[in-house]
Amino acid sequence: MQTAPLLEVQNLRVSFQVEKQTYPVLRGISYILPAGKVLAVVGESGSGKTVHALSLLRLLPPTAHITDGKIYYRGKDILTLPTEELRRLRGEKISMIFQDPSAGLNPVLTIGEQLTETLHAHRKITPEQARELAVQLLKKVGIYQPEKRLKEYPFQFSGGMCQRVMIAMALALGPDVLIADEPTTALDVTIQAQILRLIKQLQQESKMAVVFITHNLALASELADEVMVLYAGLCMERAAASDLFADPRHPYTRGLLDTLVSLKNRPEILPAIPGNPPVAGEEIAGCPFAPRCNRATEKCRHSLPPLFEKDNRQVRCWLEETK
Amino acid sequence: MSACIEISHLSKAYVRPKLLGHGDEHLVLKDISLSLRENRILGLVGESGCGKSTLCKVLLGIEKPTSGTVLVNGQNVAELSKARFKQLRRVMQVVYQDPYGSLDPRMDVRRLISEPLDIHGLYPEREEREKFLKELLKSVGLSEQYLARYPHEFSGGQRQRVCIARALALSPKILIADEPVSALDVSVQAQILNLLKEIKRTHQLSMLFVTHDFAVARFLCDEIAVMYQGTIVEQAEAEELFAHPRHAYTQQLLSAVPQVRTER
Repeated sequence: MQTAPLLEVQNLRVSFQVEKQTYPVLRGISYILPAGKVLAVVGESGSGKTVHALSLLRLLPPTAHITDGKIYYRGKDILTLPTEELRRLRGEKISMIFQDPSAGLNPVLTIGEQLTETLHAHRKITPEQARELAVQLLKKVGIYQPEKRLKEYPFQFSGGMCQRVMIAMALALGPDVLIADEPTTALDVTIQAQILRLIKQLQQESKMAVVFITHNLALASELADEVMVLYAGLCMERAAASDLFADPRHPYTRGLLDTLVSLKNRPEILPAIPGNPPVAGEEIAGCPFAPRCNRATEKCRHSLPPLFEKDNRQVRCWLEETK
Repeated sequence: MSACIEISHLSKAYVRPKLLGHGDEHLVLKDISLSLRENRILGLVGESGCGKSTLCKVLLGIEKPTSGTVLVNGQNVAELSKARFKQLRRVMQVVYQDPYGSLDPRMDVRRLISEPLDIHGLYPEREEREKFLKELLKSVGLSEQYLARYPHEFSGGQRQRVCIARALALSPKILIADEPVSALDVSVQAQILNLLKEIKRTHQLSMLFVTHDFAVARFLCDEIAVMYQGTIVEQAEAEELFAHPRHAYTQQLLSAVPQVRTER
């Protein structure tokens, strides 16, 4: 018998409902995340990347509705899971870190209280055992003098240190899946590099799978095994990271890569993608990228291309049809 | 080439107030000397908290230096009279990081970009004004139909274009750009960077470009100063700095910049 994949998302659709108006934000995305792999979900603001992340643990705000689709964790449907089971799943099996580390911590509790809170909620252990575990966790994420720092408050930690604490909390129960939603966006470049190295190292040590959400293609290329490019709530391209960056197939992916400033060369003019990304929830006929695409045809403007599958890659572009 | 901004031995300390007696002094800028030459783009690169934005504030006269001087076109910014200061604003303008926070949501684009003209009494004739506004919008890549629109109708990139138009309305010679692309989407950043490069050429601007992103600085800047904890640790021609970074901090920053791996 075949075992169920670690995490499987099928045709996930999410809409926001504001004043009886419905705004589709996620318009059907599907993927399978195997154990121990890193999937980068790359997208600009309004692409639906964060909404997708929140859906995975049913953390969406009340105005958002999952209108279709399934999310399976080891064959269990997360969307229909009873509350008590869902509570155990969160943190224990799937955990999450967010963009703003200081907002994720309670300012009036010490770091130690917050770390042990997670442990006590899921495990039957004594306060001494919890404290010992917390010390080990802080050590693991590279915090110096953990015994002393446990008694300190979040304001005594820098942004990078707060993110390390968040990672420690997320890893406290040894989850199989870590969802990281733009975990380094609020941090400085040097700190970003450290946190990225830390996530990579912990991921390899513990063999957990990571859903890494980012707007930064370079970060995706440094961390991911597989990349999914989102645009206007749709997957435009999905491929192994090495294939995608060496040979981007979708005009949007190619455009994004061409447009990046790099340290290696200095062009006179950057090949910019014209126009602006669509606003989240906008009604779109045809391919959402067509208005900005220099290879768009009449067909692109009227009908939405399906995801064409070839050589283990998926590309949502009519140009692939004739290839 | 003459210098249009000359900073010498500039220090700035903020005082944390205390209930009794003199508060703790916190030195944010430490003995900075730097010059922006005409028709050049000087990149100021550093991480958060290093003092980049404080330096901009001192240049713009928003904060007074604790010691040292800032000369803009030979005039000491801290000692200008009100009238002279107003004249200085025509010469030196600024574009900020957050295009959502820097435009008054109650003003349409016409008012937003006319405001500096009204303050300085430029283009009082209705027709001339209208013609100028349209040209100005066109020069930042916006169509003239946008004159009657409000900020909320625009995307981040379009808003930043409006901010740039507002800064260019007085035909300044110096532009201070404080992280102007870091709040924008990846696919829009390149457009704005291209625009900044173009207006630098068409308006013969000298620009101080503040950024935390070395890759962005590499595209735009002629010269780069690297800032760390309130001091300039290295300053060089851009090409030279990228080819041979000398200071350990510069090297560390450069190696931390994430790069796309295109080889399989």
